[in-house]
Amino acid sequence: MSKHVLLNSVEHLDLKIITSRGAEFGDNVWFTPTFPQEFRSVQAHYPIFFHKDAATGQFFSVAVFGFTHQENLFLQDNNWQGYYLPLTVRRHPFLIGKQAVVEDGVEHIQHMIHLDLDSPRVNKEQGEALFLPLGGSSPYLDDVSAMLQTIHQGLQDNTAFIDLLLQHKLLESFTLDIQLDDGSKHQMMGFYTINEDSLAALPAEVLAQLHNQGYLEAIYMAIASQSNIRSLLRLKNQLNASTVA
Amino acid sequence: MDTVIKQIVIVGGGTAGWLTAAILAADHNADQGRLLTPATLQITLIESPDIASIGVGEGTWPSMRNTLQRIGISETDFLNSCDASFKQGSQFINWCTNTTDSYFHPFSLPIGTAEMAICPYWLPFRQQVAFADAVSPQPRLCAAGLAPKQISTAEYSFINNYGYHLDAGKFSNLLQQHATEKLGVHHVKAHIAQITNNANGDIATLVTADGTVISANLFIDCSGTASLLLGKHYAVPFVPQQHRLFNDSALALQVPYDQPDAAIASCTVSTAQPSGWVWDIGLQSRRGVGHVYSSAHCSDEQAEQQLQRYLHQSGVTDTAQLNWRKLSFKPGHYNKCWHHNCVAIGMAAGFIEPLEASALALVEWSANYLSAQLPLPVSLLTLAAERMNQAFTRHWQQIIEFLKLHYVLSKRSDHAYWHDHRESSSIPEPLQQLVQLWQHKVPSAQDITHSDVLFPAASYQYIVYGMHMNTQPYSHLKPSLVQQADQLFAENAKRRAHQAAALPDNRQLLNKIRQYGLPPI
Repeated sequence: MSKHVLLNSVEHLDLKIITSRGAEFGDNVWFTPTFPQEFRSVQAHYPIFFHKDAATGQFFSVAVFGFTHQENLFLQDNNWQGYYLPLTVRRHPFLIGKQAVVEDGVEHIQHMIHLDLDSPRVNKEQGEALFLPLGGSSPYLDDVSAMLQTIHQGLQDNTAFIDLLLQHKLLESFTLDIQLDDGSKHQMMGFYTINEDSLAALPAEVLAQLHNQGYLEAIYMAIASQSNIRSLLRLKNQLNASTVA
Repeated sequence: MDTVIKQIVIVGGGTAGWLTAAILAADHNADQGRLLTPATLQITLIESPDIASIGVGEGTWPSMRNTLQRIGISETDFLNSCDASFKQGSQFINWCTNTTDSYFHPFSLPIGTAEMAICPYWLPFRQQVAFADAVSPQPRLCAAGLAPKQISTAEYSFINNYGYHLDAGKFSNLLQQHATEKLGVHHVKAHIAQITNNANGDIATLVTADGTVISANLFIDCSGTASLLLGKHYAVPFVPQQHRLFNDSALALQVPYDQPDAAIASCTVSTAQPSGWVWDIGLQSRRGVGHVYSSAHCSDEQAEQQLQRYLHQSGVTDTAQLNWRKLSFKPGHYNKCWHHNCVAIGMAAGFIEPLEASALALVEWSANYLSAQLPLPVSLLTLAAERMNQAFTRHWQQIIEFLKLHYVLSKRSDHAYWHDHRESSSIPEPLQQLVQLWQHKVPSAQDITHSDVLFPAASYQYIVYGMHMNTQPYSHLKPSLVQQADQLFAENAKRRAHQAAALPDNRQLLNKIRQYGLPPI
């Protein structure tokens, strides 16, 4: 369960956030949302695919960590070291909430930091302090604030990116058939990737449009990221071998 | 040199006219949403500015999904702009007896249709489970108010097969906008004052009230019941069907929902009355309700009283505020739809009570058939016409027999209407034979003598067993197939349980589509 509250320096003055990684903190995720500005970092380690949100039917770009629910192959011995951590993983237990604020009689929507009080990362003993003893925000909290801002803008930009991909029929569904060292065969379904035939057939003006918005780079990053499926396979085989041994 | 049909004029701007225009233009003048230059066909639609289209709430078949996709309309746009909702079939209430019996004609084919004909294997279980429930998850899911798909299901894809309920006026507007803006259809608003023929009897030109002369190779009559070209100009004989299907009148009205979040039924509910039946169609913003009846058996006042009673029973208290409309029609069709260089599509070719929502399906069939004949050399007009007319006649025979089946099997005896419907002189001979045969065997594909059918054998099975026909159980079922059928019955129950948990409420999904749209893939 989660309990989201607006962060404030009065009630939450003493709170600390555990920033280490582990399944007990909910890091055992199959995939996490990402966005074009982050693709360069993400594609160095993880495959980038596209996935429909079950609640809205909208497409997200996702960084994939495993082959099935609750499988994060990069989280080993409760550690997630040596890899880039996507921002939507790092953001926990914080999120952006919208709040209507009336200023000079005009209503504005403000984005405020919210905190999930039920997250096991939230405690008073260990981790990063949120506030300085007198109530000012800690450097850690300033980082969080900047990160949430980046995510917010990134996901908005991702929506525009996806709209263009759909408009030019650049997404296609695929089924990943894998065979592990032990001979077992598995299928991963429900993900989408760049349709390279459509991409190759794009007229010059569309390519220019994609390029001007920075999306052409993102498209090729996503294509290149597919080679990381091999890393996932390697990690999965290692995991299987160690469980057997 | 032989001229190829290039100029096409469509007369009439209702759903039939715009659907035909869009289908022809999409098939011949566009590729992947882009217009071809030069266009293969020049399509002009002439619409009289002073004629309002009929525009009651209407139901479509699942074929409409394919049609809309083909003409390049996004399903999200269609649902949002036509007040449209999902239709998963029809529920028939009180058709067998007048004491709360009910059955379902779902749009999905029986489970395992590709592998085996499961119907005979259901017969031994007839006391335990309704046929439609045994072979399709849809009736119960529909009764539970669930949609046929999820928000993440791509446009025009489904989990359970569906068509639509829609506002015909809004649908016609959307088609018009799409056909003129995206598909290059030329739109002329004018009253037709005169029709001139060539020496060979083909139509040469239409002359509008302001004197403009419009010529073409092919004229499509979508002028509705006026049937300006086929019926009036050519005086092609009309084949009345009132002696078989008596209904010739309807009272229609729009009923608002009592709450903004009221459930939207995802099937057409058809409730039998003493001398007719009531349709109830749930759109997004309102219900479309109407009583279709036989004026020979029932006065307009009686029809209104019965409709009032229906409305009261369905929770509508204030019926005085509602806008009642009376419609009259001549049930029947012309003895052909294609004469010389004129093809009639929609009500200009015929109309019958909307019991199985065949009207738009027949428009789709006609437009598709015609489109498949093009490009056509003028010298082959007669040949193509003859073939389409044969198919047209067959389709009308099937529609009449299939609709009549709903009445023939009824046990109602509350009014002469139902007795008259079972009078053998009112039942087409082939249908009488089939009903006799079906005492001993289930309806099968072989009973429907031609391919390219509107109603497959499964539809007959749904009706016949919904109406509790007592086919003798087979004495010769193969044990291996009994086992296979049992597995399919179990699979159907499993699928239903799984889908009951996974499918959203019908209105919730429609609301969500307004907010997010359906994904295009």
